[in-house]
Amino acid sequence: MATTTLTGHAAVEARYNDVDPVYAETRDMRLLGFVLVLFSDCILFSSFIFAYLYLRTSAPVWPPFVDGHQLPRLDTAFAAVNSVVLFGSGVTMHFALENWKNLKKGAFNMWMILTIVLGIAFLGGQAHEYLSAQMTWQGSAFGASFFTLTGMHGFHVFVGVVYLTVLLVQANRGVYTGSKYFGLTAGTLYWHFVDVIWVLLFYLFYLW
Amino acid sequence: MSAVLIERGLAFVSSIVVGVTATFQLRNELPVRGLDAVVTKVLLALMILGCVLALLASVNVLGAAK
Repeated sequence: MATTTLTGHAAVEARYNDVDPVYAETRDMRLLGFVLVLFSDCILFSSFIFAYLYLRTSAPVWPPFVDGHQLPRLDTAFAAVNSVVLFGSGVTMHFALENWKNLKKGAFNMWMILTIVLGIAFLGGQAHEYLSAQMTWQGSAFGASFFTLTGMHGFHVFVGVVYLTVLLVQANRGVYTGSKYFGLTAGTLYWHFVDVIWVLLFYLFYLW
Repeated sequence: MSAVLIERGLAFVSSIVVGVTATFQLRNELPVRGLDAVVTKVLLALMILGCVLALLASVNVLGAAK
């Protein structure tokens, strides 16, 4: 009853807490579990990133020489645009969740679709990067590191796009309510995580 | 106008728009409590850092000039 008179964060918080104790407890446990999943994914990326750092710092010159020619540096301008596309999708995903919390389903759908479109656009940009890259996976340590790390990240983005599409369908089928929307929270956290991993990869491969 | 110049201009404008929007989102998220809010704040802050990197790359401060 109190939720009808509250506005903004207070109304959202009141709705969030307006669930049975069993659901509230399992929601907290699921959230902790999901954060641990993201943390384990961090470890996975860290191991590959440290391998890249080792290869890079132990090489006399970077990018390395292949067949007597030094590999060119990667195209920063296009990567910057593609990076902002992905960061923009994080912003739209955040808008989607906020609109769901405020019971604005139409706006939620619009922001979710925009997030998915931006995610697909990023993958298209990555495909363009791969096709125009002047190195191969097996040709050098630079190529192996670049394709392995960005490929692994691209796979995460692809999984995220599928995940968000499933969440959009579920939300429109009534799986989530104004007080029970853990799936959407997890989806948002996952998408932000994918964005943040790209911040690091963007710096390491394109700017450093 | 070259394609690189267009890309840099696009990256410059869009990184400002996305960065400012993310900053407002982070500011709105500050009073929210809970583990998910804490993680969201950290991730949003790092995303803003990404926008700053993209902005610096667009004006050739970071990365190889092309």
